[in-house]
Amino acid sequence: MKLGVFIPELLRHLFKKPATVDYPFQKLTVPPEFRGSPYLRPELCIACRACERDCPAEAIEITVTNEAEKKFNMVIHNDRCIHCAQCVDSCPTDAMQMDNLFEISDYDRHNMKKRWDFVRAVVKPKAETKS
Amino acid sequence: MSFQIPIGPQHPALKEPIGVRVTVDGEIIREADLRLGYNHRGVEKLAEQKTWTQNIYLMERICGICSHSHATCYVQGVEKLMEIEPPKRGLYIRILVSELERVHSHLLWLGVAGHEAGFDSFFMYVWRDREIVMDILETISGNRVHYAINAIGGVRRDLDELQIKHILDSLEVLRQRSTYYQKLGTTEPSFVARLAGVGYLSREDAIELCAVGPTLRASGVPMDVRKDDPYAVYDEVPFEVCTADSCDVLGRTVVRIKELLQSYNIIEFLLKNLPTGPISVRAPRRAKPNEVISRYEAPRGENIHYIKSNGSDKPERLKVRAPTLANYAATIKMLKNGFIADVPLIFAAIDPCICCAERSVAIVDARTAQERIVTMSSLRELSLKTAKHQTRKREAEWPL
Repeated sequence: MKLGVFIPELLRHLFKKPATVDYPFQKLTVPPEFRGSPYLRPELCIACRACERDCPAEAIEITVTNEAEKKFNMVIHNDRCIHCAQCVDSCPTDAMQMDNLFEISDYDRHNMKKRWDFVRAVVKPKAETKS
Repeated sequence: MSFQIPIGPQHPALKEPIGVRVTVDGEIIREADLRLGYNHRGVEKLAEQKTWTQNIYLMERICGICSHSHATCYVQGVEKLMEIEPPKRGLYIRILVSELERVHSHLLWLGVAGHEAGFDSFFMYVWRDREIVMDILETISGNRVHYAINAIGGVRRDLDELQIKHILDSLEVLRQRSTYYQKLGTTEPSFVARLAGVGYLSREDAIELCAVGPTLRASGVPMDVRKDDPYAVYDEVPFEVCTADSCDVLGRTVVRIKELLQSYNIIEFLLKNLPTGPISVRAPRRAKPNEVISRYEAPRGENIHYIKSNGSDKPERLKVRAPTLANYAATIKMLKNGFIADVPLIFAAIDPCICCAERSVAIVDARTAQERIVTMSSLRELSLKTAKHQTRKREAEWPL
């Protein structure tokens, strides 16, 4: 056991580049599987409500606006979202997708709501996903 | 003459709220008393209102550092309840992530130990190297902390050749660095002098007080759930249980560094022998009425989940016994007859996760120090009675 065993390592680090990046000016890329915020592709949605049922944070809200015309209204509360992507896994038609944005903070939580009004797709889910 | 000194619930030496009341005689601690319950979040009650699928993400959020441990422990139990067998490849990926998590948790702890011992350059170097394993986890699962890789009946993300190559390359760097830290941690005279002999816990005490994880293994007891009661694919994976005989904080450091090197071997084995096939099977939405206990070796020690189902899509009871809770009794033993200056170091040595361990509240009478069980309605009456004479703060505003 001798004194100063750490000194060679310390001196070596004097000539190394910093381990961090200069964040707001220089950004790292996120991995391809990054889970950002969920969004809906209304043309594929069959309004089965699987995402609403499985969402652990109760961030997805689907309401029927017109029963006869099969009109639906979907709200994703991104302020409640925990970014687990369970809705993407639960969706049978790939209508729920995740983006790769990570700078999503806001001063007001109400601004983070995302809203879609759509007509229920009548096409078969299998045929739609292939195309 | 003895004094009582409160350390916490809010204290610069503690990272999370916990109350330690120490009775000191001069500078030596004679008695220590833990006060818990400052971080209770009602997770178990919330779990009873969520479905099996939703609970994976709730369990994951019990803890940030060992998020995969709680989720895996829960998922294993639910798979037993639903009588489904996840495919081999799924289990391999699940165990791979859990070993990567052990690496990142132990590196984090090593840095904290350096910081508490006053060796801050060690802390920064270790945490820089921890970024390598965080990057690996990010490429596998998409996120750095909450991996969300578990699903009931397997895992959610598959591995490809490029990722396997990336992990193996990064592993070489990590192995090199860990060997260096092992050398440094055991030969740097000032670091060793600070850690050696602090927080002594004898082998008999460790067994008697039911310590778990590296705290137990550093007292010379080779106990590891991965070896004693192998879950998932641990019966196929060759590895050794690391122990140390010095029974102090230095021993706990040595055990964790040895475990790091073992984890690299396990990860390499898993990646080289990764079977082909599906990664998950479909899980039913409901489970038959039954109860199950699931054990898992988290980085901090043995994690136990008790799950009871009643035939619906929600658990009837979910009890979490986090490793930190098992180590509290041993911590009090370690604190006794030590110095006040060693409190943060001894506390950090069990790698405490307070919010993991905050599960239930006990009603203790302040005068007689007796515990009792009360019903919700009598608790409500008690609160009304206590609050009756207090003036209402009409001007007080809810923060929202």
